[in-house]
Amino acid sequence: MLIDFILIPLVKILIIVVLMLLTVSYSVYFERKISAWAQNRIGPNRVGPAGIFQPFADVFKLLFKEDIVPKVANKPLHTLAPILALFVAFTTYAVIPIGPPVEIFGKMINLAVVDVNSGVLLVLALTSLGVYAITFSGWSSGSKYSLLGGVRSSAQMISYEISMGFSVAGVLIFAESLRPSDIISSQSGWMWNAVLQPIGFLTFLTASFAETNRLPFDLPEAEPELVGGYHTEYSSMKFAGFFLAEYANMIIASAMIVMLYLGGWQVPYIETLGLSAGLQASLQIAAFFVKIGALLFFFIWVRWSIPRFRYDQLMDLGWKVMFPLSLLNLVWAAILAMIMN
Amino acid sequence: MPKFTLDGNEIEFKPGETIIEAAKKVGVDIPHFCWHPSLSVSGNCRVCLVEIEKMPKLAIACSTTASEGMVVHSQSEKTLSARNAVMEFLLINHPLDCPICDEAGECKLQDYAYQHSKGESRFTEEKVHKDKRVPLGPNVMFDGERCISCSRCIRFADEITKTGELTFVQRGDRVTIVTFPGKEFDNAYSLNVTDICPVGALTNRDFRFKARVWDMSATKTICSGCARGCNIEVWVRNNEILRLTPSQNDAVNSFWMCDYGRLETFKQVHSNERINGVYMKREGQDVKVSWDEAYANAASELKHLNKDQIAVIASASSTCEDNFMLAKFAKSVLSTKHVDYIPHVVPGSGDDLLIREDKSPNAFGTELAGVHPAAGGLNRDAILDGVKKGTIKALIVVDEDLAAMSPEMETALAKLDVLIAVSTHHNRTTALANIIFPSATYAEKNGTWVNFQGRIQRIRPAVTTLEADRTLDNLAQSRLDKFGTEYDRWGRSVKLDARPVWKIFAGLSTAFGNKMKYTTAEDVLIDMGKSIDAFKKLDYEKIGEQGVQLELSAKVKA
Amino acid sequence: MAEKKRLKDLTVWQKAYIPEIAKGLALTLKTMFKPKFTMEYPEVKFLPPSSYRGRPVLVEEAGGEERCVACGLCARVCPALAIEVQAAETEREKERYPERFEINMLRCIFCGFCEEVCPEEAIVMSKDYEMVFNNREDAIYGKDKLLVSVSQLQDRINFLRSHK
Repeated sequence: MLIDFILIPLVKILIIVVLMLLTVSYSVYFERKISAWAQNRIGPNRVGPAGIFQPFADVFKLLFKEDIVPKVANKPLHTLAPILALFVAFTTYAVIPIGPPVEIFGKMINLAVVDVNSGVLLVLALTSLGVYAITFSGWSSGSKYSLLGGVRSSAQMISYEISMGFSVAGVLIFAESLRPSDIISSQSGWMWNAVLQPIGFLTFLTASFAETNRLPFDLPEAEPELVGGYHTEYSSMKFAGFFLAEYANMIIASAMIVMLYLGGWQVPYIETLGLSAGLQASLQIAAFFVKIGALLFFFIWVRWSIPRFRYDQLMDLGWKVMFPLSLLNLVWAAILAMIMN
Repeated sequence: MPKFTLDGNEIEFKPGETIIEAAKKVGVDIPHFCWHPSLSVSGNCRVCLVEIEKMPKLAIACSTTASEGMVVHSQSEKTLSARNAVMEFLLINHPLDCPICDEAGECKLQDYAYQHSKGESRFTEEKVHKDKRVPLGPNVMFDGERCISCSRCIRFADEITKTGELTFVQRGDRVTIVTFPGKEFDNAYSLNVTDICPVGALTNRDFRFKARVWDMSATKTICSGCARGCNIEVWVRNNEILRLTPSQNDAVNSFWMCDYGRLETFKQVHSNERINGVYMKREGQDVKVSWDEAYANAASELKHLNKDQIAVIASASSTCEDNFMLAKFAKSVLSTKHVDYIPHVVPGSGDDLLIREDKSPNAFGTELAGVHPAAGGLNRDAILDGVKKGTIKALIVVDEDLAAMSPEMETALAKLDVLIAVSTHHNRTTALANIIFPSATYAEKNGTWVNFQGRIQRIRPAVTTLEADRTLDNLAQSRLDKFGTEYDRWGRSVKLDARPVWKIFAGLSTAFGNKMKYTTAEDVLIDMGKSIDAFKKLDYEKIGEQGVQLELSAKVKA
Repeated sequence: MAEKKRLKDLTVWQKAYIPEIAKGLALTLKTMFKPKFTMEYPEVKFLPPSSYRGRPVLVEEAGGEERCVACGLCARVCPALAIEVQAAETEREKERYPERFEINMLRCIFCGFCEEVCPEEAIVMSKDYEMVFNNREDAIYGKDKLLVSVSQLQDRINFLRSHK
């Protein structure tokens, strides 16, 4: 009992948190490296060989910076906002399985912190909470730039959540379950949802960009027009909170895409190779991380290739293109499901 | 008046005037080196050649008298090519050392080379070498190579000072200037030759290499050396006076000033002995206090004294405004009758050119402004006697070192109940004073002086004190004054905490509960015109650049 | 420059946006594998050509004396008022020398006017671009820091002569 309900989840949480923090900081590093390469530069190369300790240097720098709170800021909310952003980003990860259930020391262990039967809904709900962090920070900073950033963010998230939700619906039609592990196992072989519902994949991918405020959808930050958007008035570790949350969200989004559309930890036809259970499980876990890595690279790659949308273009895209497309995908999925059954 | 045509314009002239003089009057500057308005015509530089119709050759404008109907061309092709030729000749042996030469920036040869010369020389041979750095006298340095032999300096020594120390020697391109054997160029006006020298051949040994002309600002003001009141320009860089030069005023000093005035009067402005800030004696020590504190203290100490025991000694170096305010303060606020000043006349020190025996620049103005004992009051000798005898208990003294007069006086001053010294410099009197107010020198304040002729002339601030600002108070500004910050070394000039005398007594008067409504020195002058006839209806605009002769009643003249 | 295109000028293919995105992505991906030109300062130092305008310096003759005669033209022409010269008299043949010569490196904008105006070829722009100071006072370079021997500056002097 004790082991099942307290110790194992605790160990899982610990592993996930450490893993998340490391991935987040290194995704910052890779962001900088990839941007450098895309711009014919070298990128960070001073801290450690090829600059690999740069993330730690960044964190230390941010830690030692003075925490500045504007005079007119609403202090409780101003402090709460980055905490909320980080909390949402990290909590979401609890329901995402990184591999098939494995047997360790005679115990079957599910490779997700919890495998709840409404996992997908939970993720959608939690990521939606993230908009509060940004809205709070925008409002509580007492700065017009922050406020505009916050307002833009909420409008953008609401608009794109709709197409996101409808895209997910298409997936659920096939999985007939909200449980992440069920969704993954429904995509065995090459029956990945990305293959079956390319339109849904596209709308979900686009919506994830919008939900994570990544370029070309980073209007809430929009440096040239809004200075730094919602985090203009943040400094030191509070700023780092937002910064880390953005990258954590990026990882969540990647994990969601992998889970919903790219078969999760599944590797097509690996069972036919006749590998031992342990090796097969490790390969599958590795496959999961490779998929996430590729998506992260894609996120970064897109950021350094495509310019930001104008606000009206963003709204046009969300409502006039993405929303109808996701509806179309729902119809397509329904028809496909009918045919296949 | 007869007329002649110059460059197509008819201009009038007085019979006997030369072309260059007539042209100058209408603002046409015909280039010239050797000609000087107050020296005889020598006509040796040849640069003023002009074309005159019906004359066979070009004529020099400086010695050709104008005549009715003459047609002169100062810009014709012939004139210009002659000018170019003359410039080329002059530059043959002139060294190209403008970077070293102090005259650069105010050099006639440099200016004309820009305006009238081709910009290159066809002379490729070695230039003639002559003596450089020859001290002609204690104040003047001569550079033979730069000399263009215009003879202005020789004529100055012959005609103005009539001392005749200088002459040409040698002939042709070897000609140079020397002093006669056994003579030194050391007359009292020797430095004027550095002003009239059109090139950098004669330089001021005191000012040599100190600053570039374009780095300084020039302020027109009056020399403080004697009662002549020569018009001068004060040249300032970084809030420091570097040299004085005379400026033309035909009614007072023509183009000249004496060496004493030029060299000795400005150095005291930056002496280490200048008083910076207000001091009060506390337990035998001079302690720096605020102005208001000192005013209040002075007022409270003077208030409980019998007004017959208070005497005031004014200064003949202060401006009319200063002295008017002081007299007003003494008579209406202190109600004392004992007001006078001490004249500084050195018998036998004057000459018939400029230098006067009276060494105070404003003795006349001081008397006109009302500094004299009221009916029944003690005059200067009686006041000093009273101090010695002890009948005078309190003394206000402005810019006079009474203690230096005699040891007896010094002990008497030490015994006074109250001694208030208003002074520019620390001296033996300020050492004894209960309260020392720092006063601004003539180079730091606005005001007027009346010279021995009864001519009222403006002095203008050239150096800023702490309370003045170059921009806001309209002081002359050099380039650096406009742009410096506190982080530039040249932006950190010394500024003393000193005030003009009139302001000090206006402040004291306020401390007595008697507010005087003056904001500028000009206000004081205008107010003075209301009560004193000599200053009637005067203001600074009326006095202008050249000053105004006061209309004096017969009584004052006597 | 590419011709400016309005929305109505675009083809359906271009309006679909996705192919254009793919083109953009392809370009950046290609760039990622191109060789980099970054010069890794301070391990690799930039060696400026003789036309480079680095820190202005005073030319020091072989005898250890400065060429400068303190004419003040550099100070006059300096648009940033960075230069301050105080002349004084010397026994040397050139009667004048700079008693104090200061360049405020915080004011200097490296325009090279001082070098251009100098009649004595006494102030030149060196190749030195490494200037570090911790306070404003240190940024004012005096003669001790400004004097550089003529042999080190020959390159620049030759360049100046060839471009007169």
